[in-house]
Amino acid sequence: MAYAIPEENYDLLETVREFAQKEIKEQCKEYDVSGEFPKEIYDAAIEMGLHTLEIPEEYGGMGLDKVTVAALIEQIGIADAGFGTTFAATGLAYKAVLAAGNEEQKQRCADILTETGFAAFCLTEPMAGSDAANSKTTAVKDGDEYILNGRKCFITNAGVAGFYVVTAMTDKTKGTKGMSAFIVEDGTPGLSVGNHENKMGIRCSTTADVVFEDCRIPASNLIGEEGQGYKIAMITLDMARPYMGCVAVGIAQRAIDEAIAYMKERVQFGKPIAANQGLQFKLADMQIKCETARQMVAHAVSLQETDKKYSMESSIAKAYAGDVAMECASEAIQIFGGYGFSREYPVEKLLRDAKIFQIFEGTNEIQKIVIANNLLR
Amino acid sequence: MEILVCVKQVPDDSVEITLDKSTGMPALDKVAVITNAFDGYALEMATRFKEAHGGNITVVSVGPEKARDTLRNCCSVGANAAYLVNDAACENSDTYGTAYALSKAVAKIEAEKGVKFDIIFCGKETTDYTSSQVGPMLAEIMDIPQVTNIIALDPAEGGLSVKQETEEGYNMVDVATPCVVTVTKPSYDPRYPTMKSKMAARKVQIPDITAADMGADASLMGEAGAKCKVVKVFEPAKKEAGVKIKEETVEETVAKAVAMMSDAKVF
Repeated sequence: MAYAIPEENYDLLETVREFAQKEIKEQCKEYDVSGEFPKEIYDAAIEMGLHTLEIPEEYGGMGLDKVTVAALIEQIGIADAGFGTTFAATGLAYKAVLAAGNEEQKQRCADILTETGFAAFCLTEPMAGSDAANSKTTAVKDGDEYILNGRKCFITNAGVAGFYVVTAMTDKTKGTKGMSAFIVEDGTPGLSVGNHENKMGIRCSTTADVVFEDCRIPASNLIGEEGQGYKIAMITLDMARPYMGCVAVGIAQRAIDEAIAYMKERVQFGKPIAANQGLQFKLADMQIKCETARQMVAHAVSLQETDKKYSMESSIAKAYAGDVAMECASEAIQIFGGYGFSREYPVEKLLRDAKIFQIFEGTNEIQKIVIANNLLR
Repeated sequence: MEILVCVKQVPDDSVEITLDKSTGMPALDKVAVITNAFDGYALEMATRFKEAHGGNITVVSVGPEKARDTLRNCCSVGANAAYLVNDAACENSDTYGTAYALSKAVAKIEAEKGVKFDIIFCGKETTDYTSSQVGPMLAEIMDIPQVTNIIALDPAEGGLSVKQETEEGYNMVDVATPCVVTVTKPSYDPRYPTMKSKMAARKVQIPDITAADMGADASLMGEAGAKCKVVKVFEPAKKEAGVKIKEETVEETVAKAVAMMSDAKVF
């Protein structure tokens, strides 16, 4: 019923669980309604260091193993998936730097992240969603600078990030091989953020357009080499997908927790509804799915940890966990009956939160393309 | 300043605890253990004091081996060092036995570290036995001043200026150091450990102190030395379901409530 993490890390798990249950879970309900960014709660989480979980020890992080990181993020996801998404998206941006950046960039971004708490990964554009290669954003070299122009959309942590990892075309004639990746620090002239998206779910995370208008950045902010941007983005997504999977597992686990509590308490036909085998089977099915999704996440990050191939497993973990989150949330609503449909009860939010996990960081259909490509390679 | 915080590991008071019918004592086997809430406030107050005015914080507990976890947690939220008074002779001590053991531990730790504690913090009470006696007894045994139920403290000429909560409001008390203060709930909550402080606390060495180490008279501690004997433990009486009175008007509601109380011979 859990990630197999080193024994010594259970105290971290308990600390994060306690914080998430006491400081995030109930408080986030209000922000789910208002759509505001719960800055004070994020400040408290940052004070604890929850934004630095994925920074390697040599850059000032804690040097935690990846399965422990996944287990900790799941605890945040159980309390609120939007909150978990914020930290997982921060990890996504930093992974691009870890994957292909130089030592100076890795340290610089770790420092910015430690100080500001957030980072953002900017790949998606209005006309480049699943077709990420159809990017219109450009980067033109001018002396020892690049000038960026274009618009990115649906960017998690836009407006709060300390740095943005941005893909842009340095040579439109070369297709995906003409794309490059850059670090753009918050406050750079020409960088601006559009309106906050009024989302269906994960409303405690912030999502907006990021706009570049003659945005000049030092040429040293290029990650890797010119033309490597698309490849870097794909590697980064492979690395990051299981972590979105573990937030989704958090939703599924929360659905199970809420369902169990309600089944024991709700009396119909003179007995708690937990006594009905039909509902027990439903609960058991939820558990089978949740636990297998969790272990797939653990497997995918373990492969990464041990330098084995993990692209296909990352996609399986993310796609499967997203589906499982949807199914468990939907079943929890079914168990709650009419109350499940009411916003007075906690489970309808889970379904709204879950949907995006089948969409962002590559839709489930894109994940299946990745999986099939791995199989047919 | 050198600060000592006395802490106790107690059963989680957020869950309902029942009596074990065979022993007549609370069934605690499956109940998680936590740091006594008031000791947590005391440590947080001490840590804020240290952050504002400098100093060192040592935590000490009289308890079993597993109380080491509590001490380690304290090291992740402000304490610099920790000691565990871990001796079978201390088991089942009453409040006097615990206060006596603590007084001996204070002397032992002071000698070992080569310091004198300026302030000794205790929680105002523990959430398990709620006697509120250990702090005051410790001060009496050590023959130093004490202020109970404090919610804030600041350095002052010759000692401390302490805000003591009372039923009516609060008293401002000047007290000389060294002293014992017992802490009630202040306006803030204890901090959460950071991931880094939690990991750093794993490496803290927590020495054991035995009765012999601190030159304690074992006959004054434990069940044998207890001045208080527990004769019987009761579960609190279960509250019966109340009666809801809701008449057309407030006046009618009050009249009915008064009539019911009159019938029940409440007055």
